Amino acid sequence: MGKKGGNLGLAFAAALVALPFVPLVLWAVAGEWRFPDLLPTAWSPRGVAHLVEPGGGVLGATLNSLLIGLATAAASVAVGLPAGMAIGGYEWRFKGLVIFFVLLPILVPPLASTMGVHVTFIRLGLADTVFGVFLVHLVPTVPYTALILAGVFSERTGELEEAARTLGASAWQAFLRVTLPGVLPGVAVAGLFAFLISWGQYVLTLLIGGGSVVTLPMLLFSAASGNDPVITSALALAFALPAVLALVLALRVLKPGERAGGFVGPGKVS
Amino acid sequence: MSARLELENVCHRYGGDEPALENLSLAVEPGELVALLGPSGCGKTTALKVVAGLLRPTAGDVRVGGLSVVGTPPERREAAMVFQKPLLFPHMSVAQNVGFGLRMRGTRKEEAGRRAEEALRRVQMDGFAGRSPEELSGGQQQRVALARALVTEPRLLLLDEPFSALDANLREEMRELVLRLQREGGHTTVFVTHDQEEAVILAGRIALIFDGRLQMYDRPEAFYDRPATREVARFFGATNFIEGLAKNGSAHTPLGDLKLGRPAPPGALTLTIRPEAVRLEGGENSFRARVISASYLGTQVHYELQTAGTALRAALPPHVRLAVGDEVTARLPAESLWVLK
Amino acid sequence: MGGRLKIALLLTPALVVIGVLFAGGLVVAFVQSLGYVPAIGMTDLTLNAYREILSDEDFFDSLVLTLYVSGVSTGVATVLAVVAALALRRSSGRVSAVVFQLPITIPHLVAAVGIALIVGQTGLGARLAALLGLVGEPGDFPALLYDEYSVGIILTYVWKEVPFIALVVLASLRGVASELEDVARTLGAGAWQRFWYVVFPVISPSVVAASLLVFAFTFGAFEVPYLLGKSYPTILPVMAYNEYRDIDLSARPTAMAINVLIALITGAVAALYLRLARNLGRRG
Repeated sequence: MGKKGGNLGLAFAAALVALPFVPLVLWAVAGEWRFPDLLPTAWSPRGVAHLVEPGGGVLGATLNSLLIGLATAAASVAVGLPAGMAIGGYEWRFKGLVIFFVLLPILVPPLASTMGVHVTFIRLGLADTVFGVFLVHLVPTVPYTALILAGVFSERTGELEEAARTLGASAWQAFLRVTLPGVLPGVAVAGLFAFLISWGQYVLTLLIGGGSVVTLPMLLFSAASGNDPVITSALALAFALPAVLALVLALRVLKPGERAGGFVGPGKVS
Repeated sequence: MSARLELENVCHRYGGDEPALENLSLAVEPGELVALLGPSGCGKTTALKVVAGLLRPTAGDVRVGGLSVVGTPPERREAAMVFQKPLLFPHMSVAQNVGFGLRMRGTRKEEAGRRAEEALRRVQMDGFAGRSPEELSGGQQQRVALARALVTEPRLLLLDEPFSALDANLREEMRELVLRLQREGGHTTVFVTHDQEEAVILAGRIALIFDGRLQMYDRPEAFYDRPATREVARFFGATNFIEGLAKNGSAHTPLGDLKLGRPAPPGALTLTIRPEAVRLEGGENSFRARVISASYLGTQVHYELQTAGTALRAALPPHVRLAVGDEVTARLPAESLWVLK
Repeated sequence: MGGRLKIALLLTPALVVIGVLFAGGLVVAFVQSLGYVPAIGMTDLTLNAYREILSDEDFFDSLVLTLYVSGVSTGVATVLAVVAALALRRSSGRVSAVVFQLPITIPHLVAAVGIALIVGQTGLGARLAALLGLVGEPGDFPALLYDEYSVGIILTYVWKEVPFIALVVLASLRGVASELEDVARTLGAGAWQRFWYVVFPVISPSVVAASLLVFAFTFGAFEVPYLLGKSYPTILPVMAYNEYRDIDLSARPTAMAINVLIALITGAVAALYLRLARNLGRRG
């Protein structure tokens, strides 16, 4: 296919990708949009205003989503970093088995395990709490951070650390001064990923939060089940915002073609 | 079968990652093996891909057997190419790989299989027909790739640094194989390499390319004896350059007046002489010098000689033992002095 | 510090998190599916829940629907992804990066809402049809949400997963496949021959691997069908959730049995994927 054909194809693909955003953007600022009209006949700030309305619940839910997302990202990097170091940086027996075990929560839907821990969470008083929701959000995020960081560590040969040791650094100093700065970009990518996965969680929050922990997707879901496309669209766009920002950031920081250790499951950011 | 290849003013620009080519013109006679030599990024692989049809020249003409092939897609050029990596099809057996080109031309399966076996024998890989490519070593894979190209009896055989990924011993073995196959098959062959030794061993003629421009196109020995420019001389290991002024058959230089083997037009000139041609003896073109460094290289010793105003390098057999600081008489034989343009 | 001890210490936090919160949860779910729920006084181990659902027509309706939704989504997404990757293999740069990455990063719920507002009976599609005089009022437009064919769900999955598969295909197309294609060209293979004998066999293992991942994911995913699916039959994860939410706590083992079956099926698909991925990795 020629360059021109490729560009035409790309434009077509871009249009398909953009398509679902067309009604979202239009509805979010629509005042009146009756059936056969192709465009809204009146515009209104109602949708956008709903997002920032004090006491409207959206701000609180956003804060919950942010809090849980940031805590999840930090914790799963803290847990995933040593695991990634062990998997990517060293050779040992049963490694394949451990990788399989770490991968499982990504591959097997989390419904069964979450319903399983629910009883225990109720007993421990963790159900219906932000902390409990944060804990279950670790299930889909830790595998990602561990495997992304394993990819980062597997590309390190250890020669820089050896060079540092020959120059008088202790093992700990070499880790702190050489290894850690070297893997920092990978850590940032892993953290961003974990945040986005947590931000997008619906069913885990629904099960463990039991309706008491209200995050953005909870509001979006109930709006979408209702009959107000203006509010629904505004919430949907707000909910999509971090993903878009992350993408812009990733495109600026990463070279084209390089991304997230190459390990992206289908729709896990959801 | 084997065809004459001509490139006429071939240009390739703005091709994304590919280095550019500027007005490349050269002809390869039927059955000849020509090496395209140059540092990496000089455009030699671009030139090869233009010949193969994988890249389209932005200007100029490529003719095979006297007919322009610029509009012909690669699959109809009968120009088989062997790449740096073996690039065997991973989902096919060795025999299927070798028979691939024949099958694409509609040869029947049995016939293709028979000729594949035969081609494998020619590259000493008989017995490997049923193997999978991933079971072979790098050298064996490259032999199969060679057989895969040869079996189609191409009008042109194009080799893009095919041995650069192999280790030294294997590389030597493969060069001999290519020389033998080329002699037997009489294929018009273009061989891209950045290794001047490899070019000298293999090629009937070498085309030296810097920055997309042809610097010199001649027989290998000419690059040592009669380099066209200082850059060409330097690429072939020359280190001795002597500035001077020509006047009736000799050159006035910091070393004194040096007699030249061939007359040079009057005016400023640069002389070069290979380190191996420097003699330790008196006579014509001789001068006093002091040894300022010596490096033992096994079969040779390289000495740096300091003389009035300039330093020269001399490569001498190891039994001549000089020490740093020794005073010697050195001679530059007139017939070994070459005047650079 | 000993090497083995160090590895063990490094792995401990992650293994504890996954072991307790995931594997532990699975074990509890399995035990409950056997009828052991002491919190409500059920302590006998039985296979009643499994017997019940396997003889339940509702369960089979759900199973068929789930297989249909994930099968069709995966199939359509795979074909479109391969076509898109082939068409766009030479366009690189930021535009194509955004085109491929955006749907992967956007949450499923957002995609579902956007697509619902297009294909719904008062959506953009219906309005466009009205403009063209094809429909008079919303009810004339075919129901594509909460419908028998799960069109809205499938479209959402297709929109989300095509770029994922396409990226996997693109990676192998831009890598060794394009070099092998050049080899095939110089050996005389035409465009169709190159696709059929070289490109297709070379990319198909990664296509299959990516499709398996998509199948496993769509088979066990909850929220899109929960939002856009009709109320009967529901897909299996929604069925399990409804049973779980049942006020009658004795439905708990049933919910867990459905969950265990979902986990087994997706686990089997995942194992297949891992095997394929390992072979791909070995081949380099």
